[in-house]
Amino acid sequence: MRTAHKMLAAAIAAFAVLWMSGPVMAAETPSKPMPEATEELLEKGRAIYFRRCSFCHGLLGDGEGPAAKYLDPRPRDFTLGTYKFRTTQSGELPTDEDLFRTVSRGLPGTAMQSFDRDLIKNGLSEADRWAVIGYIKTFAPEFDDPELDPVKTGKVVALPANRAPYNDETIARGKEVFERAKCWSCHGKLGRGDGNKEFRKDDWGFPIRIRNVTHPWKIKAGTDVENIYMRFTTGISGTPMPSFIKTLSEGDRWDLANYIKSLQHKLTTNQALKAKPVQGELPESPEDAAWDAAESMDMRLTGQVVAPPRWQNPSIEMVTVKALFNDKDIAFRLTWDDPFKDVVHDKSKEFKTAEISKVGGFNSYVEANGMVSRELETFRDSVALQFPVKPPQGTKKPHFFRGSSSDQVQLWVWKADLAEAGKRGTQEGNARGWKQPIKIQAEDSQQVSGKAKWDQGRWSVVMKRPLVTGEKNDVRFERGVFIPMSANAWDGSNGEHGLIMSLSTWHYVTLEAPTPISVYIYAILAFLIAGGAGVWLMRRAENEEETAEAKA
Amino acid sequence: MKKLKIGSFLSMVITLVLVYALVKWGIPAVSREVTTLPFPLPVPGALMFIYMVLTIIALFLFVTFSDEGLSDFLRPVRKFLRGGYGKIPRTVILAAVPVLVGWQVYEIKVPKAEVPASLRIQHPSSNFPRSFETKENPFTNPTDADVSAFVEQAKANEIEFVPQVREDVERWMEETDPGHVLEFVPVEPMKKFLAQLKSGKVDAETAKAALMEKNLFEGRALYSMNCRACHGDSVAGDGPMADGFKLRPLNFNDNGTIETIVVGYTFWRVANGGPGLPPEATPWDSAMPEWKLSLTEEERWKIILAEYDLAQKTPRIPEGH
Repeated sequence: MRTAHKMLAAAIAAFAVLWMSGPVMAAETPSKPMPEATEELLEKGRAIYFRRCSFCHGLLGDGEGPAAKYLDPRPRDFTLGTYKFRTTQSGELPTDEDLFRTVSRGLPGTAMQSFDRDLIKNGLSEADRWAVIGYIKTFAPEFDDPELDPVKTGKVVALPANRAPYNDETIARGKEVFERAKCWSCHGKLGRGDGNKEFRKDDWGFPIRIRNVTHPWKIKAGTDVENIYMRFTTGISGTPMPSFIKTLSEGDRWDLANYIKSLQHKLTTNQALKAKPVQGELPESPEDAAWDAAESMDMRLTGQVVAPPRWQNPSIEMVTVKALFNDKDIAFRLTWDDPFKDVVHDKSKEFKTAEISKVGGFNSYVEANGMVSRELETFRDSVALQFPVKPPQGTKKPHFFRGSSSDQVQLWVWKADLAEAGKRGTQEGNARGWKQPIKIQAEDSQQVSGKAKWDQGRWSVVMKRPLVTGEKNDVRFERGVFIPMSANAWDGSNGEHGLIMSLSTWHYVTLEAPTPISVYIYAILAFLIAGGAGVWLMRRAENEEETAEAKA
Repeated sequence: MKKLKIGSFLSMVITLVLVYALVKWGIPAVSREVTTLPFPLPVPGALMFIYMVLTIIALFLFVTFSDEGLSDFLRPVRKFLRGGYGKIPRTVILAAVPVLVGWQVYEIKVPKAEVPASLRIQHPSSNFPRSFETKENPFTNPTDADVSAFVEQAKANEIEFVPQVREDVERWMEETDPGHVLEFVPVEPMKKFLAQLKSGKVDAETAKAALMEKNLFEGRALYSMNCRACHGDSVAGDGPMADGFKLRPLNFNDNGTIETIVVGYTFWRVANGGPGLPPEATPWDSAMPEWKLSLTEEERWKIILAEYDLAQKTPRIPEGH
């Protein structure tokens, strides 16, 4: 028995060891400091730069490579030595480790991706990353000046020694700092980047889109409390984001970082939205309390890059959908963040796609600035839900991008300018592929109703329609069926209209099917049989005992 | 020394639990060490069921091997049923078991909202035109005429580039005023070619390698303008647009992707995109564009050249060659 015990203990210990040894963490901090920039290292860096970086950052390192025009934010101009994401004081050069972090981790929400070979199979080794950083530094003469070296001049910012834990108390304190330091004047009361009434420009004259801090996938230089702390401690060079190193204490900044962290949205993971049944009328207003009980599904959207005009700078990357139904109708509520309420539409400014929509055109993407007007008061905000017209057979569906000539889709398109003018905000339309615009149905076929509201950088739109309309081009909703659903969205002040938009692929909506009575009967039967068996066994055991006693 | 005595019933229960733990967590934990993958490989449910049934049969045989064994095993059960461990535990367990059973039956029977599963074939061949099987990338093996045309251009210091890269190259020329336009290509084959050009003795192999570098440069530029948004700048299927698609863009670094198909297939896929796929490859979920509507054949072949190079892969060689 003792041996058995020892073996058991050994087995448990072995398991514990196996359990705890997780995968080796890929490094965003280098294992060694940057090697000396020898001629050989720079030549190696130059070859890597040519192969991996020059198409965005340009052969001259000025951020003007062939792909640059189509990107917002634009690739960094290395010749200026101005870097946004640093651990050094405002206006200073970055440290080598700062550059190493950016090259290793990339900048989410931009075209700059991770180049860490531990994360991506054909990324760059640590030595390669150092080589390319060495070469990038040669573009800006500032890096040669020892008087500007932030390490030698003591301009590096360290994390605070006392880092208060991330909890309700520090978050509440951070919220007070957010109010006091007037972070909301740009970032909005709820952090959705809606504080300004108009666009601001960066040092290069490009419009600045103020960060919506609630969307972690757009936060460029890390979503951890430490990263957030660094951003408002060092400021973001070349943008209106200042350094708060002099105006806020270390403790305040740390609390604030905790608060900002707490604002980050956690995406739902469901691919199917369960619409909930309700008694009585469905809400028309997006603020109705009835919505609180409904299940929520986050749909990720991305730039429309499937067909020209392609657009890789989408503004709306998430639409959250809820659905309720009763015996007659179904109602959807769509919410998404948009810092500006755009309720006018100037048709004359719409983009003429012909020039970039031909084989052998220069590029089928829309330039970030110049081709379309990304200004206020130009294009309307808009959103659309898309469904197949015919119920899907098996897994077969129409193509998620507007269906095809043989597989029609229906879209419910809400337009802010119509809603604002007091007209029917949502129009029912149909499409057979992306080559033709959505065909809006005749007025007497329009049956979608509902209200919309823009508040604190967020649109909420209700779309309500009878479950079944009896019209052949309309989607019909039946309980227990999985109906494919996807979304299109347009942010007017981001220049979006027509196919310049963001879109999602197929998700599903399903109307909760009632539980059949047989399920309850089976469960009760199982309960009774198991219970009966238990009692019978108990009786038998007791009887045996009595018989044994009687015999004795 | 007093021996610790575990009853037959309890040891059976412990054995069962240990076997379960071993299969459920032990094997996946060991698998991670063996495969060095960053995630454990779980034991499939059906296999789990077989292991547990076998264990129970073995334990049953062991217990029922002799009458004493069986009565040893049943003693605590009998004692429990008689209330030997207390009336309250007996009532609680006798009530809890049927509730658990009923609940399990309900869980199994209640209709669940599960997303319809769709199986997908990644490289379908049902509608792949045979004529594409042996198509070759014209830029992998340029003809002698192409090579000598390139050498002539190089000698005249006037290289023809695709329009998309011209602006960047011209700005580089203005800024650096180089001896030769191709000096911006900082790789060995090009350096060797330029040295030969200077000396006046150019051999065809070197020229061919240099032409390859020039074509790769153009291909990478076209890739980063057209494909990078989804497939990423490390061709890892992780571009800035990738997160919005349910079917993620292909990761060309994966061994099962562009390496397992002939280059003619890649060309066909690039040309016809998602809409060109047969139903078994769920074309309705694919965001892959029909590039034949936007890019010329030359552009598409150059992109494919760069794509294989970036991924450090080579296409499958067509059968019958």
